[in-house]
Amino acid sequence: MTFEQFKDECFKLALEKGCENAEVCSMATDGFSVNVLKGELSKYSIESTNGFNLRVIYGGKSGYAYTEVFEDAESLVDHAIDNAKAIENTDENPMQGACEYPEIEKKPNPVVDMSEDEKIELALNLEKDTLAFDDRVNRTAHCSIDTGVSRIHIHNTLGLKADTEETYSSAVIGAILRQGEDEHSSYAFKFGPEITDYQDIIKESVDNALMQFNAKTVDSGEYRILLRNDAAGDLLQAFCSMFFAGSVQKGLSLLAGKLGEQIASPMITIIDDPFEKDNPRKFDAEGVPSVVTNVVENGVLKSYLYNLKTALKDGVASTSNAGRAGAAAPVETAPSNFYIVKGEKSFNELVAQLDHGLIITELSGLHAGLNPVSGDFSLIAKGLLVDNGTILRSVDQITAAGNFLAMMKDIIGVGSDIKFGFPGFGRVGSPSLLIEKLVISGK
Amino acid sequence: MVKSSIVNAVLDEALRTGGDFSELYLQDTESNTMTMIDGKVENANYKRQVGAGVRVLKGTRSAYAYSADTSEAALLACARAAASALKGEKEFEAKSICIDRIGKSFAKIPFSEIDNAKRIELMRKATNAAKAHSGEVTQVVANYSDFDHRTWVYNSEGVHAEDRRPRVRTAVQAVAMANGEAQTGTCSPGYGMGFEAYNEKIDIEEVGREAAKTAVTMLHAPECPAGTVPVVIDGGFGGVILHEACVHGLEATSVGRGNSVFCGKLGQQIASPIVNAVDDGTLPGEWGTMHFDDEGNPSQCNRLIENGILKTYLVDILGSRLMNHPITGSGRRQDYTFAPTSRMTNTFFAPGNDDEEEMLRTMGEGLFAAKMGGGSVNPLTGEFNFAVSEGYWVRDGRILCPVRGATLIGKGAEVLMKIDRIGRKMWMAPGMCGSLSGSIPTNVGQPRIRVSEIVVGGKGGAL
Repeated sequence: MTFEQFKDECFKLALEKGCENAEVCSMATDGFSVNVLKGELSKYSIESTNGFNLRVIYGGKSGYAYTEVFEDAESLVDHAIDNAKAIENTDENPMQGACEYPEIEKKPNPVVDMSEDEKIELALNLEKDTLAFDDRVNRTAHCSIDTGVSRIHIHNTLGLKADTEETYSSAVIGAILRQGEDEHSSYAFKFGPEITDYQDIIKESVDNALMQFNAKTVDSGEYRILLRNDAAGDLLQAFCSMFFAGSVQKGLSLLAGKLGEQIASPMITIIDDPFEKDNPRKFDAEGVPSVVTNVVENGVLKSYLYNLKTALKDGVASTSNAGRAGAAAPVETAPSNFYIVKGEKSFNELVAQLDHGLIITELSGLHAGLNPVSGDFSLIAKGLLVDNGTILRSVDQITAAGNFLAMMKDIIGVGSDIKFGFPGFGRVGSPSLLIEKLVISGK
Repeated sequence: MVKSSIVNAVLDEALRTGGDFSELYLQDTESNTMTMIDGKVENANYKRQVGAGVRVLKGTRSAYAYSADTSEAALLACARAAASALKGEKEFEAKSICIDRIGKSFAKIPFSEIDNAKRIELMRKATNAAKAHSGEVTQVVANYSDFDHRTWVYNSEGVHAEDRRPRVRTAVQAVAMANGEAQTGTCSPGYGMGFEAYNEKIDIEEVGREAAKTAVTMLHAPECPAGTVPVVIDGGFGGVILHEACVHGLEATSVGRGNSVFCGKLGQQIASPIVNAVDDGTLPGEWGTMHFDDEGNPSQCNRLIENGILKTYLVDILGSRLMNHPITGSGRRQDYTFAPTSRMTNTFFAPGNDDEEEMLRTMGEGLFAAKMGGGSVNPLTGEFNFAVSEGYWVRDGRILCPVRGATLIGKGAEVLMKIDRIGRKMWMAPGMCGSLSGSIPTNVGQPRIRVSEIVVGGKGGAL
């Protein structure tokens, strides 16, 4: 059965069986990815997925069922109705009706149209150029090109027809550098049409690996910290659920009741911008037309991120932040392009301002060592020791600990060097941030 | 699931361009997940995931193509797509299926016999027990899930292996709040069983109480001091230290490419002589158990470390070609969208001979990590980290007070040598492990152990 036939049958059955409304979110993806190692293909993958996620509103409650087999619409509808019947939460479950979408400017992506052989060639060249970049590059831990097209349809019985086709392309390189017996690696990535111009990520990967040699720990204590843009973005991403209205309404966010209050240094402005030029979108996972949201302005909390349901509960409009963690997942909240607005100072000016302290270049274990509910974090870190505005040496085997909200108030410098993380369930960016203090554990 | 004539045609088509091995993987998974927040069901989902993947190997080169469509035409298209990675002439024919391996479901009570009311009742009991534990518990989130994961593997060497792996898990998170501070506690048991796990293994009210107890204890705990001290790590999920600090570095994914600190260490002392470590995929009803792995090989009990000496790596088919090492039944993948690679199953430190109380009494000043959170590792350098979700500061061999916000970091090769006590009673706890072939269920386990020194990260001062 085709998508249209299967959808029509599901909608018809759902309405016959007493549902008030029904909606489908379908995502079909065709992709190609290639990894190379030592001049040979190590992984070559052709991908085709097609998921159909049905949501019904039955008795005012919303129930889901997902399948990848376009047959037996009745069983799918029955599963969804059963799940709607199980819901005890009395929140209303609105759906988006028919609407117009803003035109967005998307850069053409010629990489997706390249032949498989050309993409393989691109990956081989990326590895070859990485090995040639510096004598100390011993081999690669990872070298891949990933491209594809996703077609998304969100249709419902209220007349919503949100259709879009999105292309994606990314390059990832991880160089392993060797000096004596020591080896260190670092990954760098790029996505979008510009991946054929990959010299910058080779340099980034090699520079970050080189930085780790001859590292030592430091004495435990409080340090002034320069959190480099990529590490700052990783931390913001890990804590961004704090800003979701759903977390606030469920008592899982410390930002409850803080609208209009100063929650961060006046240097901090945070925006959620679905139109951001490198990753624009017309609508969110509920088909709501994109809008820009000012989340924090000069340190004052202005808005949470809403989907239709959480917005209705607070009596406001959706901020077009419905998201699904994959085709099979229910509607939740996700940022679009969520970022701290850049400041004036270059990275080197921030190092001078740091004067004495640590530059943190990498934070790891973010899925474990932090708690989005309490805001506390204690994370393994790598970095550089700075004295008198000069980098002295590398630092490893330390942890950096603090509380996210306390840290946001302690920011005393914002860089001009904004960097975004890899797009996934939202895309988060930050410039480098100078922080009055974090607690470092070392020796 | 698919006719044998089609299987053979697909395996043979995949070898058309010179591959020496081809494999067809089919998957059909049904799952039910529900979320209860503050005593009300918030979300209920049903998911059926069906798809297929074809893999071709030639030496150590690998190509994979997958599709959600499992029709004959789509499977042949996958075979052609995978084969197109190689540019040679056909060298091998696919053998007809001659080895059948059938793994029967462990489930006594299949999930199809369970209605949503039973699932809701479990979450309600856990929620009520957590709330009843203390008035400071302000929020309880319960996540119920069940999976019926069915796999079919066929390969050009004549193997046909079917497996059916049910699994259940309920994860409870309690939030305790006071004075503008929030702390959480979790408890999330899981088993490779049917719904009978809730009669035989899981006391759902105890799960709620455990989560609440951690949240409330941590709410009244000062911040953990930072520094390098002795650490006692309790059994169960404490075994995450073995998982992160060592066994990821024994997987062919890193060893086969020369990217592990444990490369070339077979037969050598890599851990203190009291250390024995095992990865056992055969334990009935456990979270990481399977009859056959996702390459169709029987799962087995792998004795990784004996008396501190490294005995084996964890090796899948491609890894065995890269390393010239026997296959260990460790080929796993999340679903058909991933090619398989070497992974863990149920991984644990075997019981030792030390007294659980003595190791605290004689540790001086340090940290007792009663409950661990997740972690991660860089296999190239062995640098690991994990979170302590419930910790206690120990002074003069006695527990002084609970402490919050602790993280343990170190280098795997060093920490294994510093284990100076291993207790007598071992137990396991479930987790989800993420790596190249996706997110898979794995158990970690250990008895209570002591590490003579480790870097403890926290933001507190002296207590």
